[in-house]
Amino acid sequence: MQAKLRDLLITNILAIVLGLVASGLMLLFLGKNPLSAYSVLITSVVRDGYTFADIFVKATPLMFTALAFAFTYKANLYNIGAQGQFYIGAVIAAAGSLLLQNILPGWLVLIITLLLTIVGGGLWGAFIGFVKARYNSNEFLVSMMSTYVALAIMNYLLRTFLIEGKAEYPQTDALAASVWLPRIIPGTRLHIGFVLAVLACVGVWVLLYKTTLGYRIRAVGYNAGAAEMSGINAKKLYILAFFISGALAGVAGFTEVNGVQHMLVQGFNPDLGAAGIGIAILANGNPIGIIFAAILFGALKVGGTIMGQMSGIPSSIIELMQGFVMVFVILSYFVRTWLENNREKRKLQKAVAK
Amino acid sequence: MGTAFFELRGISKYFAKVIANQDVSFSIQRGEVLALLGENGAGKSTIMKILYGLYKADEGNFFKDGKEIKIASPKEAMELGISMIQQHFSLVPAHTVTENIILGNVRGIIDHKLFREEIKRLAELYGFELNPNDYIRDLAVGVQQKVEILKALYQKTNLLIMDEPTAVLTPQEAENLMGFVRDFTAQGNSVIFITHKLKEVMSVADRIIVMRAGRVYGDIKRAETNELELSKLMIGRDLKWVTKDDRQESLDQEVRLEIQHVTLQEKTGVPALKDISLTLHKGEILGIAGVSGNGQQELCEIVCGAILPTKGRVLLDGEDITERKIRARIDLGIGYVPADRSSDGMIMDMSIAENMLLKSSYDKKWQKRGFIDKKKLNQYALQEIGEYSIKAPSPETIARGLSGGNQQKVVLAREVDNGEKVIVFDQPTRGLDLGAVNHIHQVILQERAKGKSVLLVSTELSEIFALSDRIAILYKGEIQGVFNSAELTTAKIGLLMAGFREGEVSNDAG
Repeated sequence: MQAKLRDLLITNILAIVLGLVASGLMLLFLGKNPLSAYSVLITSVVRDGYTFADIFVKATPLMFTALAFAFTYKANLYNIGAQGQFYIGAVIAAAGSLLLQNILPGWLVLIITLLLTIVGGGLWGAFIGFVKARYNSNEFLVSMMSTYVALAIMNYLLRTFLIEGKAEYPQTDALAASVWLPRIIPGTRLHIGFVLAVLACVGVWVLLYKTTLGYRIRAVGYNAGAAEMSGINAKKLYILAFFISGALAGVAGFTEVNGVQHMLVQGFNPDLGAAGIGIAILANGNPIGIIFAAILFGALKVGGTIMGQMSGIPSSIIELMQGFVMVFVILSYFVRTWLENNREKRKLQKAVAK
Repeated sequence: MGTAFFELRGISKYFAKVIANQDVSFSIQRGEVLALLGENGAGKSTIMKILYGLYKADEGNFFKDGKEIKIASPKEAMELGISMIQQHFSLVPAHTVTENIILGNVRGIIDHKLFREEIKRLAELYGFELNPNDYIRDLAVGVQQKVEILKALYQKTNLLIMDEPTAVLTPQEAENLMGFVRDFTAQGNSVIFITHKLKEVMSVADRIIVMRAGRVYGDIKRAETNELELSKLMIGRDLKWVTKDDRQESLDQEVRLEIQHVTLQEKTGVPALKDISLTLHKGEILGIAGVSGNGQQELCEIVCGAILPTKGRVLLDGEDITERKIRARIDLGIGYVPADRSSDGMIMDMSIAENMLLKSSYDKKWQKRGFIDKKKLNQYALQEIGEYSIKAPSPETIARGLSGGNQQKVVLAREVDNGEKVIVFDQPTRGLDLGAVNHIHQVILQERAKGKSVLLVSTELSEIFALSDRIAILYKGEIQGVFNSAELTTAKIGLLMAGFREGEVSNDAG
């Protein structure tokens, strides 16, 4: 067990280091000094509380979209439409808040809006599961295309019903401060949505591994044939898994609108869905691992932006960095298996020799 | 005797966590039939895959005619005249016999006519009735095997390795295969036969290598041994075989399960089952004999509710359950041990305890305040591990890491508990070692003694005869007849399995 834990730590750290080295080589091509770039990256994120807290602000929606991908992944389904479900959630959060903020007390509006985004994102996702179950359509394609539909709906609403009072830009009015998610640490942007995200990760873990529903979802994911043969209705679970997945991505819309943006702007956060898939893969689909992977990505994002401002390095280098880190982390799974097999083999050979 | 044709010296192979082969040494002479006998997991297939270049040995050397050789790939093995026919054939169903045989041995433009003639000649030489233009997908399994053999002969093989070749054959087809083996070796070629069937070994082998737990435990001439000695070497202890004498006659004649005129139409239009009517009494074992693929799986799935019949009814204790789906039938007390446990019976990536939960996850007894009652489940799994002597360190052990026999016991333990009234066993002992087979047979008889009704599908005639009260023979989706087991002989059942009707078969046939 101990050797396993040691492998896990060493290989993961090595993977991150190798990812940084590989992206450092890319920096050399740009004629920049990677060492000074990295020292900027590291010192910048810890230079003050506000920046440091922003890591967790950025990690919050990533946790939700990563969970959205990971959850269906456990049922051997691919939801790559988290971006669309996130937009649906964001639209509902903005509309709900604007509609109710002058009628009800702030805390009640927040709760109602949260529930509405869960239902809205969930139904948007459940549709994908439904067509999969009913017509055996490819959920990969349907979920991908549903993102564009969601985007179009958002754009349409931002130009019509939801457009700001001035009717100038495709964005909503600012939400009243009463319906902002409360800040956890004063003087930073860190809001309670982060706690919600961590709770969601733990909750999904409990759901998957501690309840019979999660058990059935995993059973269907591993072997749908054996699950069906055991009286488990896989099709029903497809719809349910997509509902939960869509709901999780939808909540990301809620935390972004009510926690960070305090309004809805056309086409904001366009890469949350894709980054979520990366984080889920990085964490091997483990909900607890997603917490750490999302924080890592959050740190790269915050540090990358500052690095771009300070050293003139294009901040898109961060995406390259994320890509390299991901590749090496995935490789480390194989390295760990190989290490373990070798260890067992040596143990065996030693036992035989005695 | 002189120098051995091929010799293996001190071969060892380690997989992670398992010793597959340890210090294995033996030789084979020209013109010899060598049987590699051992239980499943004894390392027979592994050692042969090493010889065939599919695996690399961790220790040891090979010799051909006294000279050391290296075998790094099947291609190199073939160049040395070694061919291996795997348990699962490697043929392309959408190609013809000719195309399959020349696959990998041709370049550029193919002169089909030339090859066809060549293969026809080769087939005639060995007395195989084969049309080189037939598509593999249209051929019976026995014929497909002949294609595999021809493929080996076409490559000028001197040493033919066959992995469990008779597992898929009817008794008559198996007899033909033995005939070929004798012809082939008479010409100075050698054959290695991997098997766990003692009878086969005694009928065809010249010499027998017995393997157990990755080591060689015996290297004996057939003439100097007998089945009893071999079985002792194979399993390392004495087994008390279940026979009919151990059983009391069935007393209860109350009908439990009735299948009335069940027909199952496949999408292709060919009925998988045609007008099947069967009755299963309380405390009775009804054996379903037949070559696999004649509708056995469909019959089992109709009983357990996985598929609904196109026509006909299924009754349990007089109640019509035709429309009830799987979950309802599980609740009614119908257990099912499917033939293919890895695809239908269990979830390989889950633990033993989780596999125990598979069919009863809706049952409140495994839940505590909405969560899985892990403690209770683990206790139950632990108890079953003990009761069925499943070799596993804990209930948390992942099923994939268990041997086939132990995996099967997990399924068995679960289904015996689920099937309070009826248990359907589809090939419950296929591919298992003797110890596990014996255990499973005992379990089946115990459940019968408790008054449960058992539907036993098997392609293994000895199993059918050893356990069944009555035997039905299934051929192309039709029942060829239902007999009391004492009424049948191996020869008669063999002919019924091959499609002959009762009127055409008398008891002294064959």
